Amino acid sequence: MNKMKKEAISVKNLTYTHPDGTKALEGASLEVYEGERVAIVGPNGAGKTTFLLHLNGILRGSGQVEVFGKKVDKEKKEEIIKEVGIVFQDPDDQLFMPTLFDDLAFGPINMGLKEDEVRERVEKTILSLGLMGYENRCPHHLSGGEKKKAALAAVMSMEPKILVLDEPTANLDPKSREELIKIVNDLNEREGITVVMATHDVNAIPALADRVFVLNKRVVAEGTAQEIFSDGALMKANNLEVPEVFKLFEVLRCFGYNCEELPLSIDKAIEHLTRTAEVNGGHIHLHIHEHMHDKVKKLRSEYKHH
Amino acid sequence: MMEYPEIDRYASLDSPMHRFDPRAKLIAITFLIFSIVLLNDLKLVLIGFLVSILFLIATKLPFHFVIQHLKGVSLFILPFLVIMPFTVEGNEIFSFYAIKVTYEGLTYGILVVLKAFSAVMLIIPMIATTKFETTLKALDKLKVPNILVQMLMFTYRYIFVFVNEFQRLLIAMESRGFKLGTSLYALRTIGNALGMLFVRSYERAERVYWAMRSRGYTGSQKTLVEFKMCTKDYALAVVIIAFAVCLQVVCYAGVWVGVV
Repeated sequence: MNKMKKEAISVKNLTYTHPDGTKALEGASLEVYEGERVAIVGPNGAGKTTFLLHLNGILRGSGQVEVFGKKVDKEKKEEIIKEVGIVFQDPDDQLFMPTLFDDLAFGPINMGLKEDEVRERVEKTILSLGLMGYENRCPHHLSGGEKKKAALAAVMSMEPKILVLDEPTANLDPKSREELIKIVNDLNEREGITVVMATHDVNAIPALADRVFVLNKRVVAEGTAQEIFSDGALMKANNLEVPEVFKLFEVLRCFGYNCEELPLSIDKAIEHLTRTAEVNGGHIHLHIHEHMHDKVKKLRSEYKHH
Repeated sequence: MMEYPEIDRYASLDSPMHRFDPRAKLIAITFLIFSIVLLNDLKLVLIGFLVSILFLIATKLPFHFVIQHLKGVSLFILPFLVIMPFTVEGNEIFSFYAIKVTYEGLTYGILVVLKAFSAVMLIIPMIATTKFETTLKALDKLKVPNILVQMLMFTYRYIFVFVNEFQRLLIAMESRGFKLGTSLYALRTIGNALGMLFVRSYERAERVYWAMRSRGYTGSQKTLVEFKMCTKDYALAVVIIAFAVCLQVVCYAGVWVGVV
């Protein structure tokens, strides 16, 4: 698929062993195309963070990592860093400067930009992420949601073409979470930034990703959110779960609701229900039939992880 | 709850000391501190001590804030007042069996205590009237080795994170029935918690380093600052430094006159 598009990231047969001897990655391969939004899911300890740290050469395993056709290695490190920006899971790891301004200026200064260019970039980033008035605040005076946004801003001031996010929605309240999803999608739409993220937040995936990879030391599966979530055995084998809406519609199907493609989000669900109701003269019919209880039972056992 | 070591909590007040250019402030006050510490005449040290108090008053910092910072230091300073009179040889004031209290010892003790307090009281106007990050940038502008400035910066940035982390550990321990105390068990548990904190800091350090490298860190670090020295800053700096020099001149001239 998408053979016409340019490859932004290409990883082939990546293997990495932690210093303590545990294998984090065993031959992971994937391609991400320019302008795409990609989610990487997988159980804890599947090597998601380790994988992300290979994308700009912070960690180096055996195998091949290419960004826009250029090999990620020691010599071209400065170039790669400009292309790939990584937002870490814990903002306290990312915001290490005394004030937000200094943190946003850190990357551009290291890129060797002139002082007025640095100031321009910082200002632009602050405006585009809605962080006006936070310039001189220090990280320990920011809330969790603000910190996350600040961490994203600290990376965006370098104007990367690829944005790598480690658990972007973790530990956020619903409002901050929604805001972050919107910011990431805006960056993708307006500036064509390629987005790669590792996440456990399955309910955010439909809104955040065009394609999903399941990583468990290697890439086990790849497809649209719809394809991945529809594979029950795959979900179970990798400690994953599907969005609640998806589950609900599977239950409705047991009650006789006619549904080929199960919706992944509330919006899609509303669309589906409306369509079904319109076709059936304004009504939706659910009923209890003889196999229903068995079906529901089977469904429930499928979603249990033990 | 544990207190955050926020030295610059009152940096946004307004006073002559707050308005003083951070670079000039660092240099002038450092000069004065050295000058006072190197004096050996009780009267001159007393003048230095009073001037330090004046500086402190000029900062308009709240009294409790100043006391809080002097409290810790006095634990180390005050014992000199007790130890010196008994240990320095000289003319005795009175004796009690074998223990002698000497005039020289007493003078020496007072001298040490006054000098130490003067130095600490001068450091407060120097550090607490500027945002800490501005002080760091001033140090960088004054060509203090970059590695030292970075170390100070990271220490200050992560102290808050570590205080939070230790607090969380402590709360987790207390909610499982642990009581802070001085029993061997409590101390051992605190030791474990500190060890845990150490491991966590080590791991965090690695992640912070990754984050820095991801944004192009190569070892040295530059920041953008604009400092503007105006005539008032020059004038104040010159006055302070001149006073420091005067103290020294009077001190040595005095000694010389005494000899003649």
